[in-house]
Amino acid sequence: MSVLAGRRIPYLLIAPAAIVLLLVVLYPFGFNVVISFSNMSMRHFRDWSLVGLDQYRRVFEDPVFYGLLGKTALWTAVNLVAHVSLGILLAMVLNQNLKGRAVFRTLLILPWAVPQYITALTWRGLFHSEFGDINLMLTRWLHLPPVNWLKTLPGSFTACAVTNIWLGVPFMMIVALGGLQSIPRQLWEAADVDGASALRKFFHITLPLLKPVLIPAVVLGTIWTFNNLNVVWLVTNGGEPADQMHILVSYVYRSAFFLYRYAYAAALSMIIFLILLTLGMTFLKRSRVEAGGGV
Amino acid sequence: MSHPVRWIILFSLITAVMGPAFLSGCGTGGDDRPLSIWHQMEGEGKDVLQIQIERFMRSHPGREVTQLYKETEELRTHFQTAALAGSGADLVYGPADQVGPFEAMGLIRPLEDLVDLDSSDWAEGALVTYRGHLYQIGDRVGNHVALVYNRSLVSEPPKDSEALIRMGRELTRDPDGDGNPDRYALVWNYSEPFFFIPFLSGFGGWVMDAEAHPTLGTPEMEAALRFAHDLPARHKIAPLDADRETADALFKSGRAAMIINGSWAWGGYGKAGIDYGVARIPMIKETGLWPAPMVSAKGYSINVNVEGERLERALELLEFLTSEDVQLEFSRVLHTIPARISARQSPIVTQDEVLRQSLHQLEAGRPMPVVPEMRAIWDAMRPQYQSVMAGTKSPADAARDMQALAERKIAEMNE
Repeated sequence: MSVLAGRRIPYLLIAPAAIVLLLVVLYPFGFNVVISFSNMSMRHFRDWSLVGLDQYRRVFEDPVFYGLLGKTALWTAVNLVAHVSLGILLAMVLNQNLKGRAVFRTLLILPWAVPQYITALTWRGLFHSEFGDINLMLTRWLHLPPVNWLKTLPGSFTACAVTNIWLGVPFMMIVALGGLQSIPRQLWEAADVDGASALRKFFHITLPLLKPVLIPAVVLGTIWTFNNLNVVWLVTNGGEPADQMHILVSYVYRSAFFLYRYAYAAALSMIIFLILLTLGMTFLKRSRVEAGGGV
Repeated sequence: MSHPVRWIILFSLITAVMGPAFLSGCGTGGDDRPLSIWHQMEGEGKDVLQIQIERFMRSHPGREVTQLYKETEELRTHFQTAALAGSGADLVYGPADQVGPFEAMGLIRPLEDLVDLDSSDWAEGALVTYRGHLYQIGDRVGNHVALVYNRSLVSEPPKDSEALIRMGRELTRDPDGDGNPDRYALVWNYSEPFFFIPFLSGFGGWVMDAEAHPTLGTPEMEAALRFAHDLPARHKIAPLDADRETADALFKSGRAAMIINGSWAWGGYGKAGIDYGVARIPMIKETGLWPAPMVSAKGYSINVNVEGERLERALELLEFLTSEDVQLEFSRVLHTIPARISARQSPIVTQDEVLRQSLHQLEAGRPMPVVPEMRAIWDAMRPQYQSVMAGTKSPADAARDMQALAERKIAEMNE
């Protein structure tokens, strides 16, 4: 109470925002938890009742769930590896004394500044099998056969991944660039004097010292990518081809808002939440242990 | 605790609790607030609606009305969420097939005891009933697809499927011989099964029986899928891949001579400088049947949460918006077919060639079922239709899988 009394004004100033946040975050979350234990659906929209773990059982008994989980894991891994590796690579390039560095930096940040849905729809157009620029380049310049990007599952997955990599690299690049600029140059200069190779310098100086800034970004990136409804939904026009290109979160969206399976979708979204919570906590815990070990 | 601090806490709580309600501006609780309409009319449709609302407000001093556009799916989901919470628009406008889910969820109000209508003046399906109650009053009927052709490329639209293929081969052009035609005879949307329905009905099939059981795994479905697949793949008169945007862009740029599309898109063709005509989708020669597009009304329903004096005002607005005058104004600008039969005698309808042809197509159409199961049918048809058009599944397998998927989805939906 004495702490509160001493800092009364700051707490009062943040009170409206805190209360609104509680209402718009905690209340919907709590409501979601409750309906995940219910039978809420089109037929039981107003008169729903609690049915225990039924919806969770349905999720785990549905083979579709495991297929989607695998696809979502692959989707997250592919995107994160590309985001981190390309982000660091570009950050290292921008960290050099390049002529026109500011211009390059601005250009590389641009994809981040464009609204996600515009980027997604633009890439969808680029991947069109007959009129898209990618196939036109493949056929006219490289004399390769056209690829049916959005009509096959691998093609559709690739199209979504390319779009999301395009969108996600600038964030990782900016984070890595910030980290690189905080590393004292003397460390690399000392390594140069010792005759260390570029790879050795990267793995023994750059990467370990980037870890503190990269790990929170990777955790965030994992959550964002795992839950990236926009890109998957817009590039595949809601799951094309043939409703196959879904990740867990787009399947939740379809179940809830197209098939009115609110309780089932709520249970599935709780499972997604628990997966991400476990992943995030484990990742952060491990990184703290490693940091404590003197990275 | 000092007085100012107590006041700040009180202010914070009031802001937090009441803020969202003030911001939403669409609640139904306070009777002094303007009546609200949520709709999915785009572009010119939205402008016409606004003009009519202003007319209503001028003729009803003291009445305030606001309108808010939402994309069709967004409108449905937002209204469901809002109405469940006791809020949402007073009047919700949209296609007739939203009535089934809204009724099942108890979100809209039965109207038969609230309005006094001469049903003989309304086109079939314009007064949308479900389970014996009237839930929606249409301001237009149709919402159907037809064959739209570019007059500078097609002097006389094909009358049957054989003529379509024959003409199609002449109209499709690949002057540089690179295998990518510079012009196609026909385009339509391969993503949404709504655009495939005319082919299905042309082969004698339909989506469900009178008890709302899916009828997708049939020889008629198989034949229709094969026909649709063959137009691009075998006869090469249509592109191999086309969604809504591609089909529209090809027709607007003159790179497609004909398109199967709905009245909502026709205005855009005129604006793009295309001299277009509208005709019936050609008869399927094999069966002798005219393709029957799904036809439905679009109209207004009243939120179940609207009560008392506010309900009376909402009904007054509903009556105005579905009046003959207003329907004709939409017809004049958007070429829509009025829901009131008497309005069809107006020169606005009789002297409009596009509207007359649209009516001609409408006469061949079949009403879209308004039952909620329709959603599962679309969801089951979509992936299989897409697979057939992409050449990754045979029509026979697709028809069989559609049926199985529809049955499973309906069972899941009705849990």
